[in-house]
Formats: sequence, structure tokens, C-alpha cells
Amino acid sequence: MKEYLLFALQRFALLAAVVFFGVSGAFFISHLSPINPVESILGEISSRATISPVAVEEMRRSLNEMFGLNMPLWQQFLNFWGRLLVGDLGPSLLAFPTPAMYIVMLALPWTVGLLSVSIIITWIVGNIVGGLAGFFQNSRLLKLFGVLAIGIQPIPYYIVAFLLVVIFGFLWPVLPISGGFAMNVRPGWSIEFVLSILHYSILPAASLVIVGVGTWFLGMRALVSNIVTEDYVTYAELAGVRRGRLVGSYVIRNALVPQLTALSMALGGIFSGTIITEQVFAYPGLGSLLVRAVNGGDTTLVLAVSSIAIVAVAVAIFIVDLLHPFLDPRVRVG
Amino acid sequence: MRTWTTLAAVAAMALVGSTSSLLAQDPAAPPITDFPRNETLIIQNPEQPAQNPGWFNLWVLGGGHGTSTGLHQLAMDTLWFIDPDAGLDGANYNELAASAPQYNADFTQLTVHLREGVYWSDGVEFTSDDVKYTVDTQMSDPIWSWGARFSNAIASVDTPDRYTVVFNLKSPNARFHSMFSVRWGGAWIMPKHVFEAQADPKAFNFNPPVGLGPYVLNSFDPNGAWYIWERREDWERTAMAEWGEPGPKYIVYRSIPNIDNRLIEMVNGNLDMIHDLTPEAMFSLANQSETSRGWFPGFPYAHPDPTLPMVIFNTQNPMFQDKRVRWALALMIDPMQLSMASYRGAATLSAIAMPPTGTHTDDYFEPMQEWLIDYQLDLGNGSTIQPYDPTVGQRIADAVRPQFGDAVPTDETAIHKSFGYGWWKKDLDAAAALLESAGFTKQGNQWMMPDGQPFAFTIKTFTEGVMNRFGTDVAQQWTQAGVNVTAEVAPRIFADDLPLGQFEAATAWSIETWGGNPDLSYFLDSWHSEFVVPAGSDQRQPARNWQRWSDPRLDDIIERVRVTDFNDTQANIELGMEFLKLMVDEMPIIPVMSFNVFSAYDTRVWTGFPTAETNPYANIVNNWSNSKYIFTQLRPAAN
Repeated sequence: MKEYLLFALQRFALLAAVVFFGVSGAFFISHLSPINPVESILGEISSRATISPVAVEEMRRSLNEMFGLNMPLWQQFLNFWGRLLVGDLGPSLLAFPTPAMYIVMLALPWTVGLLSVSIIITWIVGNIVGGLAGFFQNSRLLKLFGVLAIGIQPIPYYIVAFLLVVIFGFLWPVLPISGGFAMNVRPGWSIEFVLSILHYSILPAASLVIVGVGTWFLGMRALVSNIVTEDYVTYAELAGVRRGRLVGSYVIRNALVPQLTALSMALGGIFSGTIITEQVFAYPGLGSLLVRAVNGGDTTLVLAVSSIAIVAVAVAIFIVDLLHPFLDPRVRVG
Repeated sequence: MRTWTTLAAVAAMALVGSTSSLLAQDPAAPPITDFPRNETLIIQNPEQPAQNPGWFNLWVLGGGHGTSTGLHQLAMDTLWFIDPDAGLDGANYNELAASAPQYNADFTQLTVHLREGVYWSDGVEFTSDDVKYTVDTQMSDPIWSWGARFSNAIASVDTPDRYTVVFNLKSPNARFHSMFSVRWGGAWIMPKHVFEAQADPKAFNFNPPVGLGPYVLNSFDPNGAWYIWERREDWERTAMAEWGEPGPKYIVYRSIPNIDNRLIEMVNGNLDMIHDLTPEAMFSLANQSETSRGWFPGFPYAHPDPTLPMVIFNTQNPMFQDKRVRWALALMIDPMQLSMASYRGAATLSAIAMPPTGTHTDDYFEPMQEWLIDYQLDLGNGSTIQPYDPTVGQRIADAVRPQFGDAVPTDETAIHKSFGYGWWKKDLDAAAALLESAGFTKQGNQWMMPDGQPFAFTIKTFTEGVMNRFGTDVAQQWTQAGVNVTAEVAPRIFADDLPLGQFEAATAWSIETWGGNPDLSYFLDSWHSEFVVPAGSDQRQPARNWQRWSDPRLDDIIERVRVTDFNDTQANIELGMEFLKLMVDEMPIIPVMSFNVFSAYDTRVWTGFPTAETNPYANIVNNWSNSKYIFTQLRPAAN
């Protein structure tokens, strides 16, 4: 236990260092962008009205002062960490004075909900079928699944998404192709709202699952194909271990360990969103928010999304590190 | 087992954590109801989902709000509207003002008589106090979006009675009222009684908005993808009541980023108005849906916006300081090829520095045809040519007719409105003569500048769409003619490249007009030489003289426009003609075409939309605030 606690503390220190350097790196990289949010705002206003150049200059001065962009970078960095440590990421520059975190939290649940569920479904289906395909290598059905997985995998995601839109939105219009939920449903803890979300997420989730399942399938199949040749599996089979128990406990379970690590990495990566899904299906999420923030020079919003992503990935890895000794008895913590 | 337990715990936490912020309910929100299809108009909003959906205070700089969500079309209002098309009874609307702008003799004071009997959506009467409050508040801090503009122009505002406002100006300005005149948007009036009750009006989200328009906010997507507006029960107490009761009880504005989805939704009957499609999508829609159409009933379908896509030369670059070079480049372009490449033939061409739309075809294009046909271009070698081809529009119509058949007009007037009048002839020999007179030489197929360097440059263009095709094609045509031109996409062309002068040539626009009024002040005043930044400086060139061109004759025209009554149509047209002729002579920009927007509407559920051929009373490009007049004319379809 003492050794495990020491191990956990070491991993936590690593987590803190990763978060600090990651977030600081994100700060400097985002501030190195030549895109100026003030000019983004002024460009938007100028394109829709006729404004005297004198007025534009005054607006430019005011915005620079309001956003604190006329401070030295090191001072902005210190201010940033000072606010971050109390949970304040500052106002979004392109949605001033609304806090950046507020805007991120509007989009985050949709991204987390859609992507986490899609990834988990993809992971479960891909690994189960891949595991079975790796064990029952003569099964025609599983071989067919393998051919499909290999065939679909190289197709660009946008094509698959668009095909679903055309098939289920146009040729056989049975599913909604745009939005997060129906307009005549109020957000709230109700069956109606939950069902509406599920209804509208069918096509986006299906597009992600179809494109993603092949990778897990192929990986798991390869892992299991190796494990079935291990001596202990052969011994267990000869010893009369029931087939189901052999597949589940002796083969797939051992192959799952690296797949679990990969799952945690995939789940950690969901915080960057999926811009193409959001654009094709008009589905709310972080991807579009992040792209607009980068293109508009909204460094505060970029940092808000980046910070969440960095912390999420680091925490995910930390949790997996802590769980590993329990999952795999061969791992030593000393 | 523990693995699955762990996974289940993670999934549960993700689900709970992710849904908690979704489920916060606003107790002040109106009840959600079903929206009967025959009472609901569904419109595609071209904006991306609003970044800050619950923010409606559009008077604060930034804010992250959506504007074309119905907010500025249905809820906001101001003193005057100038329609880009014909208007319901002329293009000039007295909206909250009861009459046209009334200036004193030297244009230092503007008196406005307000329309009486107009009420805010919460039942409070609109008065001159609201106008004064708007101006005083905006001027109090440059953070307000109109603060700097008002502060530069207005000395003070008086309200001698509840329905009269007197603006005292800092200097003579015959077009001060344009701040309160809507072309696309304008200086919207703030509700004094709402904002003065706030501790910090700049931090007030104005949710739900209290407006002067005939609709109130019913509900909106927490992620900003749709906004639903409901007709006010007291719609008669708005300025729009003059034109009748708005037909739709509900109006929905939806963000649909994917163009294919827009097309599918309209074919499926889930969308009544589309803001824009690609040319190909428009052609598909016309083929698949008998009840859907564009501005024109057939080819070219698109609505010509009062914006003029063009080739912009950076005239501070030595390469483009000789007008013979600029003219030579213009004569290297085949307008038919340009139209086919960019718009598949659906372009409305313009040879002059004026968008061929609204009232401009009658005010400028038709009267100038004779002058253009007779125009003599000096090639610099003792000879002249008449470079104008008045038949280009007709030839494009004939070229697309085999593919689009009866959808292509045959009537000459309709062809001029759809495809434009004429354009400059492609004449490589004349272009060569001009370049040679400017000291250029040719080595093989490559033109060389007087200094012996190859005549080569980069043209910056949009990242996608018809403008990208335009830029790419013109680069290709120039290259084929011996000028090595590379097209380069510029994602921030209006934000950085053009203002900073970081370009040699560009395809964009520096001319935008009212559309329904021949006055050119909307863009022209900014072209005065006093606003041109020095060459090589890091100062930003203010909108809209991206070409950084100055000429004493241009300054003279602008200074005369400044002191000409906005309502003196004839005088303004004469000044406009002078400007257009100067632009032909000097060619600092190569005008090409109007910005045609492939807007569409469907008549399965609603009828009464404007049409180009019989009733062009409003712009169907629905993110324009003046598109609101359409709603007063809509009625449910018979079936």
C-alpha cells in the first residue's frame, strides 16, 4: 500500500507538471497568432456599415484597452494564471463580457455526450467483434465483417456523413439531419427531451461509429490473433476450459489492456470536438467553437477549450495509470 | 469485471456531467408550443450558430450574439429604411420617422418628426426620449458600437417634444441621417425604460429583447442554432403595420451550415427561405422542386446584391500605378469565360464601378450605354479603340440556353437585368499596345516590365465559393496572356490583407451601394484622399478604399457629394455619372459583376414572395433587415 501511495503521488506530480506546461504552452502559442480579435470585430462591423475612419480608430483604441491587449505578454501570462487558479478563464474576446468558460460549457455537453457515447459504442462493438474474429478465424461471417471494416475505413468521414444525410434525410426521410433536439421540446429533465436528443443524435453518432469501428476491430483482431498462439491458451484449451470462458477470460481480457489505454486516450481527445460532424449535421459542439475562436483570434476562448482538453487528457492518463496495477497483476508499482 | 465497472462509472459521470448544464431552465421563458406549419415561416440563417446565444445586446461591441437570427429583422427598428430593390411603395421607407430627413440650410442640424402610436413590445410607448437616450448612451463610452460614430458627428441632441428629435451636428454633413438608415443594418433605437434600469447596461444581456418590431422572441436554442419569433398581439402598434399584418404567426431562423442540408430541407418542406446556395445547388433545387425558385423565375435565379466583386489593384505598388497597365489587364479578360467559370454563366456583369442592381440599372446603366459604346481608349501608340461590347449579356444568355432552355430569358430587358449589359472586349492586341506604350516588352509569351523583370504578381482571393473561382480564373487568363499571375487564398482578406495593403491584386469589393437609391455615399466618402494611408506604412487603410487610389478629381466629386442634398436624386445621379466616367478612364479597379446570391424560397406553405419579373418589392436575401417587409405580404398557400 505504501508503495502504491508513493506511486500515486509521483503520478500526481507528473499530472500537475503536464497541466502547467501544457496550459502555459497553449497560452504562448495562442498569443503568437497574428490574428487580432480587435480587427476581427472591426472587420465585421465595417463590412456591414459605413463608418468614418476616425470612428474606426477610436473603436480600435477602446477595444485594445478593454481586452488588455496593450499589456506586455508576461503581464498577460501572470494575469492569466492568477485568474485560472481561481477558476476564472476571463471573458471571451469575441463575446465580451461573457465568460469564456460559460460559452465553452454551452457546447461541451454536446461534444462529450456525442463523442463519448460514440467512442464507447465503437470501442465495444469493434473489440468484441474483433476479438471474436481473431479467435474464430475460420468464421465466414466474421471474415465478411473484416472485409467491410477494411473497406469502409479509408473512406473520408465527410463522404460517409453525407451519404447518411442523403439516404435518411432525402431518399428515405425518416431521421432529422440538422440540430441537437426538436424545436418544440424544452430542455430539461424530461423523457421528451432525452428522447429528442437521442433521436437527433442517431445520424451523427452512426457516422462516427461506422467510420471508427474498423480501427478497433482490426487492432483487436491482431492482438487476439497473437494471444491465441500463447502456450497458456493452448494449455487451457487442452485442459478442457469451456470455450466461452476461454474466449472471454483467457484471450479477450488480456488483449483488452492496451485497448483500454487507447480508449482513455481517445476519450481524452474528444474535447477538441469534431468539426465536420458539427458542420454536416448542424450539431452543437466544441469543434466549431474552437475553429471560430482560432480564426477570430479569441485567445481566451481558445485557452478555455485547450485547458479543458489538456486537463481532461492528463487526468484520463492519470486514472488509467492508477488503475493499471489493478487491471494487470503483472504491473509492479515499486 | 472491474474493467467494466470502471468503464460504466466513467460513462455515467460523462453523461451526468455533460447534461447538467443543458438542463438549467429559465423560469421566465415563454411556454413551448407546437408550431403549426401553416402558421410558421422557416428561414435559413446564414450565420453560424451564435457563439453567445443568450446575448441580445447588439449595441455593445463584440458580444458574440447572432444578428441575423431574426433579432435585427424582426425586433429592432430605426428611423428610415432604404431598400436595395423597388420597395413596397418606393425604396425609401419612413419607419420610426414620420417623414424624410429635414436638414437646415448648411446641413448642421437634422430635425426628425417621429411616427406616433408606436409601442415597445412590453407596452411602453416609443418617444423622442428613446432616441436621445440611444445617442447619449452610445456616446458615453466608445465600447458601445455606435459610440465613436456618434461622437464624431453629433454635438448634442434635443427633444423639444415627445415626437421630435433635433440632432445638432459638429460639422456640415448632408448624409448624417444615413446612420439611422438601414441598408443591411443601422443604428437601432434602444428602449430607454429597459436599459436605464440596469446597473451596468454594457453588461446587460437584454434577454428577452424588448423591441419595436412586430415580433417578440418565443424561444431559442441554448446553442444558438435556431430562434423562434412570435407575432405580437399588438402588431398594429409598430411602424410596419402601415403595410399590413405580417402573415406568419411564427418565424423560425435556423442555422444550417451544410449547403446540401439546406437543399434537402427545402425539398422536404422543412424550409421556406434559403439565404444562399451554390450555383449548382440552385440548379438542382430548380430541377427537383416545382414550388421552389430564386429571385428570377429561371436562369440565372440569383439576386444581385448591391455589392460589386472586382479586381482590386494595390495602386501604391509601382506595377499598377500606370493606368495603361491596368487597362491592359482588363482587356486580357474574356468576360464570358469569367462568367462561366465563377457563376456557371449566372453572373450579372458590370463594366462600370456600379453594381447592376436595384435602381442602378435605370439610373446609371441604361443612360450610360451610349457613352460606353462611343468611349475611345487611347492605346498610346497614336491609335484608339472602342473597347466596350454591349452584346456580352446577350451572348452569355445564348450560350447557356442550350442547357437551361426556356428558363433563360429572351426579352432584351430581362437579359440586361439577369446577365448585365455589356463588358470590355477581350483584345490582346490592344492590351499589347498599351503595355508597350508603358515600356513593357515581350520575351516569348512572357511580358517583361520596363525594369527588365518579368511582369508577375499574386492575386489574393477568397477561400471558397464563386469569389474563389473568380480569382482563380482571372489569374489563369492573365497567365495565358503572358502575365504570370498566381492565385492565393486569403482567409482574412477583409480583416488583414486589404487593410494592411498586404496584396498586389485581389478579387474582393470596395464598392457597395444603397441599391434602391442612386446616392453613392455609402462607400464613396471613404475614398477621399484624406483617408489614404501612406505607402509602406503599417497603418491600416480604413474601409473601403482598398485600392488606396487617390485623384484630385475624385476628391472634388466626393466633396460635392458631401454638400448635396441626399434627396436631390438628379444631382446625385449627375455626380454618380461623373464618378463612373472617371473610373472608366483611370480603371483603378476592374469592375466585374454584382454579388449574386442564390437565395431561394418555396411556395408550398406561403405565397406572396417578391419576384424579379413582376413584383421586386424586397430583397429575398433574408439576412438583410429590410427583408422584413416580405412578411407583411405573405399569406398561407391555398392548399
